[in-house]
Amino acid sequence: MNPFEIKDCALLTGMSGLPAAVNLRELRDRVASCHQDVLFHHFCETPLVPSFDYPDYRNDFAVWAKWRLGDQVLAERLGMIEPYSLPTLEDLRAATLEVIDDRLSEVTMIPWARPGQEFHFKQAITIVFDTGERIAHPDELVSALSHMTNSSIYFHVLEARRRHPVGVDDFSAWLKGGDGQWDHYIRALESIDVTFFTLPELRRKLIDVLTTARDLGPQGGRP
Amino acid sequence: MNHSLGDYEPIVGHAVIHQLRTLGEKFKGLRVVHVNSTSEGGGVAEILTWMVPLMRDLGIEAEWKVIRGTPAFFSVTKAIHNGLQGKAVNLTRKDWETYYTVNAENCRELGDSLARADIVVIHDPQPAPLLALCANPKGKWIWRAHIDISRPSRPVWKTLRPIVERAEASIFSMAQFAQPLPHPQFLIAPSIDPLSDKNIDLPQSELEEARGRFGLDPDRPLLVQISRFDRFKDPVGVIQAYRLVRKVLPVQLVLAGGGATDDPEGREILDEVREAAGEDPDVHVLLLPADAHRTINALQRLADVIIQKSTREGFGLTVTEGLWKGKPVIGGDVGGIQLQVTNDYTGYLVNTPEGAAHRIRFLLHHRDKMTQMGVMAKEFVRANFLLTRNLRDYLTLMAWLLWGDGRHTMMV
Repeated sequence: MNPFEIKDCALLTGMSGLPAAVNLRELRDRVASCHQDVLFHHFCETPLVPSFDYPDYRNDFAVWAKWRLGDQVLAERLGMIEPYSLPTLEDLRAATLEVIDDRLSEVTMIPWARPGQEFHFKQAITIVFDTGERIAHPDELVSALSHMTNSSIYFHVLEARRRHPVGVDDFSAWLKGGDGQWDHYIRALESIDVTFFTLPELRRKLIDVLTTARDLGPQGGRP
Repeated sequence: MNHSLGDYEPIVGHAVIHQLRTLGEKFKGLRVVHVNSTSEGGGVAEILTWMVPLMRDLGIEAEWKVIRGTPAFFSVTKAIHNGLQGKAVNLTRKDWETYYTVNAENCRELGDSLARADIVVIHDPQPAPLLALCANPKGKWIWRAHIDISRPSRPVWKTLRPIVERAEASIFSMAQFAQPLPHPQFLIAPSIDPLSDKNIDLPQSELEEARGRFGLDPDRPLLVQISRFDRFKDPVGVIQAYRLVRKVLPVQLVLAGGGATDDPEGREILDEVREAAGEDPDVHVLLLPADAHRTINALQRLADVIIQKSTREGFGLTVTEGLWKGKPVIGGDVGGIQLQVTNDYTGYLVNTPEGAAHRIRFLLHHRDKMTQMGVMAKEFVRANFLLTRNLRDYLTLMAWLLWGDGRHTMMV
C-alpha cells in the first residue's frame, strides 16, 4: 500500500448567476435548470460555508422552506433528501424536484418569501492542495485525524464521495488496497451517518470508531 | 500594531495557521496590490491594516496603495457611495469628470506598480476607474465592494457598471448585496481581528475603570447597544424595549456610538435619543470618539445582553464583536444579523421593541442558558468570522484567478 496523502482544501462561495427565487415555483424552475455545482453546493458544501453549524436541516433548500416560506411540511421532506445516497447529481436533482412538485400539487397558494428573504442560488470553487503529510500505516489513521483541519476532513470524507470511486470516502478507498486486511477499519468508517455531524463532530466520531476498531482488531466483534 | 500569523495561533489553533502557511507557499513572491482611498478610518482601512502584513508574513509581496484626491473628488465619491447604497443623488457631468480626472492622475502615479502586479484588488468605488485607466495590466484585477449595492440609484450604477465590469471577478460581503455582473462574483463575509483594541481580552481592572467612568451599577443587569446614532439602528426602539423590561427588572441601558458631530442627521437622531431617554439615570447615551475602541470593548464585556435592534443592516460587525465576547445578541431580523444570530443558540432575532423586551427578560431569568449561548456564540465567531478565514478566502480566490480553468475543483 502506498502511503495515504493528506490533502486539504479551501472553498469560496460565489453567485451562480441565476436570479433569486421569491416563491416555491421559482425555486422549482431554478432547481430544474441550475448547474450541478449549484445543487452540490446547497446540499453538500454547507459544512464549509461560514454559517451556523446546527441548522434545522442539512441542506439550504429545507432551511429556506422552513424559515422563509414558512412551509414546515416541505422543509421536513426536503430535509430528508440524502445527497450521498444518490448515485449522481442528476438523481439528486430529480429527487428534489419530486418533493417540490408533490408539494406544489398539494398547496392551494404558492408559498412565497418576503422581500429580502429570497433564495440566492450559489455555487463554490474549491482549491485542493497537498499538505505534504502522509499516513504510512492504517494504524496511524487515528493520530493523523486528530491533527487534520476541518476542511481536510471534509475533503477526504464528504467531498470524496463525489469523486471516483463514487460514494466512497478516501480512507476506505485507500484501505481497500490492503486485500481485506483492513476491513475492520472500513466497516467502522461505513458505520458513520456522515450527514448529521458538524466537521469537528465528524472528526471525533471518526476517531472513536477507528480507535475501537483498532483496539478490537480484524476479528473485533465477530465470532 | 501589526501582528504576525503566529500571534493568532493561540486563538484559532495550530491547524488553521498551518493550513494558511501551506497554502501561502503557493503564493510566495507573488505581487499583490490593494488600492483604496484612505489609510485610516473606516472598515476598509481596518481590514487592510491587518491583511497586508499577514499576506507579507506568508511571503506574498503585498502592497497597499492609497489614491489621493481633492475635497471635490471626495464629495463626488461620497455621493457615488450613497447612490450605490440606494440614496437618490445628483451627479453632474462635471462631477463624473472630477472622478475620472483624479483617478487618471493617480493612475499616472501608481501605474507602474499596478502594471507589475499579479493581482490588483480595487476596494469600493473610489478607485474603480483605475480598472479602465491602467492600460495593459499583466495581472488579474478584482473589484471588492464593501457596501450594499443591492438597490443602487440607477443613474449612478449605469455609469459605474461599465467600469467595474472590467474586473475579472468581484467580491461582495453577502449574496443580498450583489448586482449581476458579467464576471464571476464571490462572497467573502467580513471578519474581526481578535487582537485589535476592539476585541482583545481586557484586564478586569480596565473593565472596572470603564464601569466607574460611566457610573454603571455592578449589581444590576446591563444592556448595551453599540452603533452609530442612525435611524436604521433603531436606538429609540431599544429604549422602548428597555422600558418594557424595566417594569419588572432593574436593568440599565447603554447606547454608545460615535460619528454624530459632523453629520446633521446623526445629530438629529442623537437629540431624539436623548429626548427619549429623558431624565432616566439608568439610560446612558454615550457619544464616543472614533478611536474609543477599548471603551467599546469594555462596554461590550460589561454587558449581560448585547442588543443590535437594527431595522436595516449591512453585515453587522458589532454583532460579531458582541458574540466574540461570549454574549448572546438580540438583533433585528435583517441583513447580516440573520447570518450570525440563530434563535436559542447565539441569541434571538426580533422585529419589535416588544420582541426584544421579551427575549431580554427570558435571558436575564435564565442565566445558565445565557452562559451556554455565550460559549456557542464565541465558538461560532472563532470558526467563521475571524480574519484568518477572510485571509484564506482571498488566497482561494487568487488561486482560482491565477491557475483556475473554470472547473469547480482545482489542485494547486
